[in-house]
Amino acid sequence: MIRFDNLSKRYPGGLEALSNVNFELNAGEMAFLTGPSGAGKSTLLKLLMLMERPTSGTLLINGKNLNRLSRSAIPTYRRQIGVVFQNHQLLTDRTVFDNVALPLQISGYPASETGRRVRAALDGVGLLDKETHNPLTLSGGEQQRVGVARAVVHKPKILIADEPTGNLDPKLSAEIMAMFRRFQGVGVTVLIATHDINLINTMDERIMHIENGMITDDGVHHGHY
Amino acid sequence: MATTEKSNREAPQRGATGQKFRLSDRWRGYRAHHRATLSSSVRKMLSEPVQTLMTALVIAIALALPSAMLLALSNVQTIGGDLESSSQITVFVAKSANSAAVDGLALQLEDLEGVISVTYVSAEQALEEFKALSGFGTALQYLDENPLPAVFLVQPLLSGEAGVSQAGKLIASIDELESVEDVQVDMLWIQRLNAITQIGEKLVLAISLALGIGVLLIVGNTIRLAIQGRQEEIIVVKLVGGTDAYVRRPFLYTGTLLGLFGAIIASLILIACVIWVGRSVEVLASLYQSQFELVGPGLSGILALCAIGAMTGLIGAWVAVMQYLRKIEPK
Repeated sequence: MIRFDNLSKRYPGGLEALSNVNFELNAGEMAFLTGPSGAGKSTLLKLLMLMERPTSGTLLINGKNLNRLSRSAIPTYRRQIGVVFQNHQLLTDRTVFDNVALPLQISGYPASETGRRVRAALDGVGLLDKETHNPLTLSGGEQQRVGVARAVVHKPKILIADEPTGNLDPKLSAEIMAMFRRFQGVGVTVLIATHDINLINTMDERIMHIENGMITDDGVHHGHY
Repeated sequence: MATTEKSNREAPQRGATGQKFRLSDRWRGYRAHHRATLSSSVRKMLSEPVQTLMTALVIAIALALPSAMLLALSNVQTIGGDLESSSQITVFVAKSANSAAVDGLALQLEDLEGVISVTYVSAEQALEEFKALSGFGTALQYLDENPLPAVFLVQPLLSGEAGVSQAGKLIASIDELESVEDVQVDMLWIQRLNAITQIGEKLVLAISLALGIGVLLIVGNTIRLAIQGRQEEIIVVKLVGGTDAYVRRPFLYTGTLLGLFGAIIASLILIACVIWVGRSVEVLASLYQSQFELVGPGLSGILALCAIGAMTGLIGAWVAVMQYLRKIEPK
């Protein structure tokens, strides 16, 4: 589903954020991306979201080369991905419902279908009763769950999360992770960048460690260190 | 470093790309979004009434100025046109001509191309008229003979710029006729007026262009500010797969509405000016025994102004949004 082939990204000014990264993530697989700040995690995710273009190497999604994707094809590509941001990036000028509905509105879903799917997504994260609230009135954990609902409302094939539990306490973090696992359970490919080593070590999932722009460790760790 | 085994599982094909809907559903969704965007643009503008009004006023002034000049110019052209059509060619008959020659000349004049009507004023009639109008009545009684010649007043067909050159030809052919002493015509100043209005037209065009660019910049600047205020929203919309058109839409509506709003104010300014100046023009015209009336922009003129305002607003907004969207392109 996701394949990085000898991929490098150098920013103007010479900083090499990623160098010769190789990995493959199969459909329905779940993996964590760890590493110190500035190691290249965010860059890797940005490449996946096509917020950045690689300097060299190829990035294949579902067999399609992202390098060859034209500017006008980017929106269609992004509609196949769901993204959860660390700071959840909710829009504070509209309700929880409208935030979650955004990806559907953009894709031109009819209103009835939008309502149905948004409520299903909010139900999935346990926030159905908060649909008319403004995101600002919610707690940090609730806001992040709204962010998750927005990321999955259009049923993407790939779910990417950048530090989704960054500001949450362990209990809420575990809840969010459990949610991601549920999506993986229905066939979504999930890639999560996180610092939360303690949490992911309990999850028996693939962990890719990235340092200085290179993947230094890739595998499943069972139990605690 | 073993990779997970369960990763080979096939993902069920349930990804939603939005293509599963009928075209009519998507079309309805598209129109609904347009309506929603339009109403939210209007609401946003109304929520900042001072800001909106000030921007619209600047646009209005920039639109009203060249429009007023254009209007003034077209009114001057109407004056020119009125005078052109009322200008006559005066044909002085030679003193030696007898009445048969005069009759022949009358027929010849009537036959010429571009002549609408020919009026004969005999020497005696001319003298009577002169006596009546000049106030020299008693002095003229001391003259032995009538110093005035008989005259034909020829009304030429004149229309537009071509009319003036046609009239030139007509005068030349009248001059060649027998028994014609002299031909007089007061057309030179009409030609001058035409030349001046042509310069005026070019001037108005140049000023319109400059102020049109001004409107583009005003709208562009306003939209840039609006974009800055909604940067977060734009980034999120782009990241969840919003197209450039989707991001652009609200700003294009705002720009178009600002331009339209400005044009409506400009029209009101223009109409107020026409009414205000019109009264003075009426007084002036009555002093010249003229029926001249100041012509306003008219409904078509106002509609054209609104269309130009809206178009300029649209283009200004478009340029501003596209500049921003190019800036946040993936590199």
